[in-house]
Amino acid sequence: MINKKPWDWDSEKKEIPVKEWQERFNWVEELSVSPDGEKIASIVNLDEAQFSACVNGEIWEETFEKAWGLRFLSNGNLTALVCKDEEWTVCVNGSFWETRFDYIWDFQFSPDGSFMGAAVQKDGQYGMAVNDRMWDELYDNISGVVLSCQGTSAAIVQVEPLGQGDIEGFSRGIFSIAVDGIAQPEKFMNIWDLSFDSKGKQVASSIRKNRIDYSISKNSQAWEKNFQFAWKPEFINKDTSVIAPVRQGGKWFLFKDEAPFWDKSYEQFGQLAIHGDGKKIAAIVSDRYGKWTVSENDRTWALHCDSMISTLFYSDNGDSLVAVFKDQGFWDIAVNGKPWNLKADKLWNPIVSSNSEILATRMEKEGIFYLVVNGKVYQERFDMIFEPQISPDNDKILLKAMKNGIYLRQILTLDKVL
Amino acid sequence: MQETLTTNEKPESNKKDVIDEGVEKGLARLTPEKISTVINQVLTKETGARFKVYVETCMRCGLCADACSIFLSNDRDPKLSPAGKVKQTILEMINKKGKVSKQLLKDVVRIAHTECNVCKKCSMYCPFGIDIAYMMTLVRRICHKLEITPLYIQDTVNSHSATMNQMWVKEDEWIDTLQWQEEDAREEFENLRIPLDKDGADIMYSVIAPEPKFQAGLIYQTAVIMHAAGLDWTMPSTPGWDNSNMAMFTGDFEISGRIARAHYETATKLHVKKIVMGECGHAFRSVYDVGNRWVGWAMPPVDLVHAIDFYHDLLTSGRIKVKEQYKKTVTLHDPCNVSRGRGLHNKAREIVNILCESFIEMTPNREHNYCCGAGGGVINCGPPWKGSRMINNREKKEQLERTGAQVLIAPCHNCHSGLEDIVHHYGLKMEIKFLGDIIFEVMEKTIYQKDS
Repeated sequence: MINKKPWDWDSEKKEIPVKEWQERFNWVEELSVSPDGEKIASIVNLDEAQFSACVNGEIWEETFEKAWGLRFLSNGNLTALVCKDEEWTVCVNGSFWETRFDYIWDFQFSPDGSFMGAAVQKDGQYGMAVNDRMWDELYDNISGVVLSCQGTSAAIVQVEPLGQGDIEGFSRGIFSIAVDGIAQPEKFMNIWDLSFDSKGKQVASSIRKNRIDYSISKNSQAWEKNFQFAWKPEFINKDTSVIAPVRQGGKWFLFKDEAPFWDKSYEQFGQLAIHGDGKKIAAIVSDRYGKWTVSENDRTWALHCDSMISTLFYSDNGDSLVAVFKDQGFWDIAVNGKPWNLKADKLWNPIVSSNSEILATRMEKEGIFYLVVNGKVYQERFDMIFEPQISPDNDKILLKAMKNGIYLRQILTLDKVL
Repeated sequence: MQETLTTNEKPESNKKDVIDEGVEKGLARLTPEKISTVINQVLTKETGARFKVYVETCMRCGLCADACSIFLSNDRDPKLSPAGKVKQTILEMINKKGKVSKQLLKDVVRIAHTECNVCKKCSMYCPFGIDIAYMMTLVRRICHKLEITPLYIQDTVNSHSATMNQMWVKEDEWIDTLQWQEEDAREEFENLRIPLDKDGADIMYSVIAPEPKFQAGLIYQTAVIMHAAGLDWTMPSTPGWDNSNMAMFTGDFEISGRIARAHYETATKLHVKKIVMGECGHAFRSVYDVGNRWVGWAMPPVDLVHAIDFYHDLLTSGRIKVKEQYKKTVTLHDPCNVSRGRGLHNKAREIVNILCESFIEMTPNREHNYCCGAGGGVINCGPPWKGSRMINNREKKEQLERTGAQVLIAPCHNCHSGLEDIVHHYGLKMEIKFLGDIIFEVMEKTIYQKDS
């Protein structure tokens, strides 16, 4: 993924004044910080219908009539969706894609930043564009676009026309899955939750076959078995199998390839988390009404919360199963079932070190931002904190924060934080 | 030209002759086996003690009748009393063990979908608190599974299922509309923004799909209010922005749950503290009470604030100041889903009294108010049913007329549309406004400073 070794892990503190931008421009939009913390940027307004991006105080040469979605990719490239001469495109580090669209949105990128994709509309027809290349075939509508790690793209597309109030036509199925622009021949009443396999070749989804029968499709082939409902499927076992939460008899089950996979039933399922291509599988579940927990290989944590679990994921080595959850009105993190007791008002997903021993994140509590490492709150208070980073040798934290209008890049040794 | 009925005109008796293509085609496909299988499946597999208690407890005392404006609008026809509607629908299905005729099902669709607003007022008048709206929703669930839901509302649910919004608004149209309204609202404040996908904003503002489709000016107004109040807010660019949910009213609980999940997951991805929603009652019911609970969230997993609560806070905290009170005489319609459903009626009055010089109560009011006649998905059943809806809204029309107010404030989209129909149909001389319309008109267009 990201090679963090070349980053500056020695300079204790770097500062970039940002407050003065407010004086230079009519307005400054949301701030975005590069993964290495060396750059801070924002869309800025220069004049009526004249926007640019300001990066460390320097503005891009190009200006736009409109711009939104400014973000740094994992490889450090700065991207935005921009409108110039009434046409939309992607701007990367100040340079435009050649292809222009009538609209562009839902911008996504691969984990290493080498592939960029988005939903696009041209002349009232819809598709995707990946790395400046638009699908050859466009459709009447598009939703649920996804981009694989390998740059393949997929979306739910409308392949049949639908007149106003045509509920009969809708029931016959007007949606298909298009992969790299090619719609599959199978049509369904509804398709949701597209999911690529690890190689970016196969696509699974939840589907609705008719008014009451739901199921799962793998490469557009529907499971024969029908369910009362289904949520997002995932590939496992070197992409040979698909697992999905499905509803039967009013209860939720985890199925694999049309057969029950876990023994227990649940009140509800949320997102799935997979490690080792299926050796470890976890899910956000509700095992009694209104109470949420995590089930790992069909064994639930003792920890429960009353609001929600927003995120569940494994660390790279699989040692840590991390959940971000809300209980009694406050956000918290649990690692392998043990809560940190943060009582945060806002809390972001932690990043995890390669050895799974360090987790770092940021939270807001009563309007103040704090860095949190392994559940310990670093006491310096900030106006804003961006996603922190952990050094390659797992002994330092890169803190990126705003304080009194100044952007701070700080390297903190772990002993200072812990 | 709109037809106009006078106050004393008798209701028409031809309501049963309405042809709804969705219902007719659905009925034509049904077999006796399918009918009994679906009915018995729903009654035995999808109900429990609650249903049994309701069925066994109702003793036909009729105290629920006077709660129902449809009953009152039809010369107290017992068949249109809440208990009468239960008797003709769910009790018939139980008594006949699901072996009911297509003709009965046609009547069932009419009763459950167009002669009951599932407004829950009758539950307050029932000595046992029987939730008749629940019983009617169960009937709609059976209609959904039999595929005999009225066409227009089914099309709306189809839109929900495919786009996660109720009006087939395409993903780019939504974002483009926000950017267009942002530009226009800069007429009020030159640096105004509608921040899209602002990660970590305090507030996510959500609306119902008719706003971007037909009433984009309401988004403009909200942007001005948010900007003037100096709030840290955002609107999502992704599906999940629409808080409405007609699937909840057709008994399509699966799609209803998916809609609610999309809404809350959208807010969670943006790390907001709370969701503020526009002036819509049924949408509030969906995300506060119904859709969320199907997903397993006993309460909203992200704090959820209806516009009435939000405006009340802005006006009483001084974040929004009134430059000059609104001059015309106003009355207030209490939307069922935020009045009976959430108890916001007194806050709504406080807002009206802050904003307006002259406020006339309609009677009955607060939690006893009559439904607008559009609620519960009734208006969404569309043009085929509009004529009968107008007949069923006669009592509401008389209630409005008695106020003599120039302006009718209705802090709910569905109510707004239904009341517009009543006003036009019966020739009432009333303007209809949202609270936001009046706030926008009377507010000081200056940006709130904490120290001031």
